Amino acid sequence: MNDHAAKPEPVDAVIVGCGASGSTAAKVLSEAGFKVVGLDRGPWLKPEDYSGDELKYVNRNFLWPDPTLKPRTVREDEDSPTELFPFSPLPQLVGGGTVHWAGWLPRPMPSDFIQRTLHGDLPDANLADWPFLYDDLEPYLSKVEWEFGCTGLDGADKYAPPRSRPYPSPPRPPTRFGKVFYDACAKLGINGFPLPHAMVSTAHKGRNPSNWTGFWNQYGDPTTTRSNAATTFIPEALATGNYELRPECYVTRVTTRADGTAKGVVYLDIDGREVEQEARLVLLCQGAIESARLMLLSESAAFPDGLGNASGLVGKNATFHEYLYAIGLFERELHGPLCGFAGHYISGGSMQFYETEEKRGHIGGCIIAASQVGHPINWNFPGRPLWGEAAKDGDRDFYNYSMKIGLILHDMPVESNRVELDPEVTDAWGLPVARITHKPHPNDVKMAKWQVDKNQEILDAAGAAKTIPVYLERSTGNTCHQHGTLRMGFDPDTSVLNEWCRSHEVSNLYVLDGSGFPTALGVNPTLTMMANAWRCSEYIVEHHANGNEVRLDKPRVEVSA
Amino acid sequence: MASKADWPAAPADLTQESNERLFFSDHEWKTIDAATARIYPTDHQPGAREARVVRFIDRYLSGIDYIYASADGSGFLQMSGKLADAWRARNAAMRRTYRQGIRELDRIAAGRHGKPFAELTEAEQDGVLEELSGTPKPKPVTLTDTGPLGTMLQGVADDGMNFFDALCLHTRQGMYADPAYGGNKDRVGWEIVEFPGPESLADTNDCSYSVQEHFVQDCVWEDLIPFMREKG
Ligand SMILES: Cc1cc2nc3c(=O)[nH]c(=O)nc-3n(C[C@H](O)[C@H](O)[C@H](O)COP(=O)(O)OP(=O)(O)OC[C@H]3O[C@@H](n4cnc5c(N)ncnc54)[C@H](O)[C@@H]3O)c2cc1C
Repeated sequence: MNDHAAKPEPVDAVIVGCGASGSTAAKVLSEAGFKVVGLDRGPWLKPEDYSGDELKYVNRNFLWPDPTLKPRTVREDEDSPTELFPFSPLPQLVGGGTVHWAGWLPRPMPSDFIQRTLHGDLPDANLADWPFLYDDLEPYLSKVEWEFGCTGLDGADKYAPPRSRPYPSPPRPPTRFGKVFYDACAKLGINGFPLPHAMVSTAHKGRNPSNWTGFWNQYGDPTTTRSNAATTFIPEALATGNYELRPECYVTRVTTRADGTAKGVVYLDIDGREVEQEARLVLLCQGAIESARLMLLSESAAFPDGLGNASGLVGKNATFHEYLYAIGLFERELHGPLCGFAGHYISGGSMQFYETEEKRGHIGGCIIAASQVGHPINWNFPGRPLWGEAAKDGDRDFYNYSMKIGLILHDMPVESNRVELDPEVTDAWGLPVARITHKPHPNDVKMAKWQVDKNQEILDAAGAAKTIPVYLERSTGNTCHQHGTLRMGFDPDTSVLNEWCRSHEVSNLYVLDGSGFPTALGVNPTLTMMANAWRCSEYIVEHHANGNEVRLDKPRVEVSA
Repeated sequence: MASKADWPAAPADLTQESNERLFFSDHEWKTIDAATARIYPTDHQPGAREARVVRFIDRYLSGIDYIYASADGSGFLQMSGKLADAWRARNAAMRRTYRQGIRELDRIAAGRHGKPFAELTEAEQDGVLEELSGTPKPKPVTLTDTGPLGTMLQGVADDGMNFFDALCLHTRQGMYADPAYGGNKDRVGWEIVEFPGPESLADTNDCSYSVQEHFVQDCVWEDLIPFMREKG
């Protein structure tokens, strides 16, 4: 039970959201001696609460947000109808998305930070360079890999960006479908390698990597095999004695003082009581949809269009990635079972197609990976017959004889792709929900087509009897990767946050999740989010807290031909 | 109000074997048993009837007592708060969908053959399901090419589903969900698709269940990744 007085003591920092980025900030600040309160609207579940129960986790949404309590709405553009749709439904609980994620933990590439420099003014997109470069982030990428836990194989990725430290933990062996992927890649001259993975395979910081169940993506982990904020950075922050974690607290607005600084946040506790937590610093770490929504919900006389929104850019330039893939069906007589239930979701991937190649007809590229097809109820079989003998035979013949090669679509920022408050729909607490307006840029559609076709070629080379492509039709938010809604940059007219992810307008308000990403990456974003949260938290400790404001110079980019 | 982290587990007061009806009338039970047996038919291997899919669906529709098995499978979580309210509303809507759907099956059956659905031959029942779904019975999967298909969504439940789609989905679930939920009797569903599933949820909770043998154990990375040798 939450027995805090209606007005708890002010603290140095209040962090809204205890997921990937919020736990990183909590760790860095509390270890530096700051008094920190972390608020999360969800429960604090422990490893012992988890099991390999497909129905519970995948169908009955034990961890996914309940769409009737926390609805979202989506439309393609202003002229399209708005529908209720669980767009990018990041789970809401202590640990956030990292509780049941797959855990691809790839590094970004240097090119990701200079998209504008590389590609100029892509028509109908809003490309921008990041306010810092890969090299600025590299030390923090290494810190997160080591502190959070990451498996990887040194020297296996032909395209690896520079790194200051090796991987802390070796990869687990390939799955059977993973081996088929590696063999096909070798045949085609593609550099397949075990993608960095948010887990440990060996003893690491007291963890016990004993989960071999195959219940992974979308399932909680009953051990500490997976790198999950709730079992890594959160307990480390708590161990400092400087961090107080309050689950089941739904933050409904950021309050401000007459001087335009943030005063604290107001939240509803589990019994619906309203509480104000004051703090010298307010850090939003809710994910790029919910952080933007809270900024908009926090409008006031001084901030009529939402907090920190003088630029009018809050919510805009949203990018969401999209997971697309090709499935291969194999003949059982010719191949042994592929065992798509085994593994830790991904087994084998490649960065070979990441950089721009003019002749493909689009800019940019994506990471790809072979992955589990899943468990029997929900295994990924597009076009599956719904009923009758065909349904049963389809499962019997192909459940164990299919595999999937997916991609993370590097979608282009478009200013009109955005998050706003829905004018009509409210959540179970009576607050307006996020309405997402998102239409893929033509480059997204081309990139998806090209890469899905390439994935089919790999499946063909692997000996698939049939391949099924899943192209980009519309944006569904199925990766739960969220970025861009509070773009960072140097210029307050064209960005919401500065290069330290501090609001240009509200001098003690930071947003440390993916909201600041000026462009999406072509890889899964969370390592970059956590590294950036670490970098900005360190800035807070070293500079902000001492009353210094340090501005970065605009990066000087040297693009080699 | 209890946090999800503190929901107590009520011991399941139904044995795995019990066929006690919790929601369906006898007629509804018979009808759903017959319909699910056409959705996932019995052949040289068991189907929905043997897996006791009707029992699985009956428990699902009975209220909110059998929604989430506890992590060790010893009972079911007792929800509270807004989530419990959401599930009660979801349950009420799905009950209506089933009650109306069963009447619809009988109405179509009566119109075509003058008998209730459960009393028709299998071929007649298939005809009723075709009429209900508005599409022909699915053809076998072939290995010839298909066109592109729609993407996968995560975090989508059965809210707002029509009766036929819900029935197909719940039949799959009853075939393949952990037996703790009343279907997949003796793990027959898993046997059909050669999924070496756990003996019990408890085994997944303490991780004594393992699929490690289905990884490739004796792999040398350098053999899989030519680049590692090329660069010397
Ligand atoms: C199934 C799945 C698989 C994924 N796989 C990968 C992967 O392989 N690799 C990868 O890089 N990424 C993956 N992701 C995405 C990854 O989980 C997110 O990028 C990451 O968690 C985002 O971190 P965050 O800190 O921004 O938000 P989160 O980790 O989601 O944390 C945000 C927290 O804020 C809380 N919150 C929100 N609003 C409020 C409020 N008003 N008041 C109080 N608390 C609030 C939420 O409850 C939540 O706990 C996956 C996501 C899912 C769902």
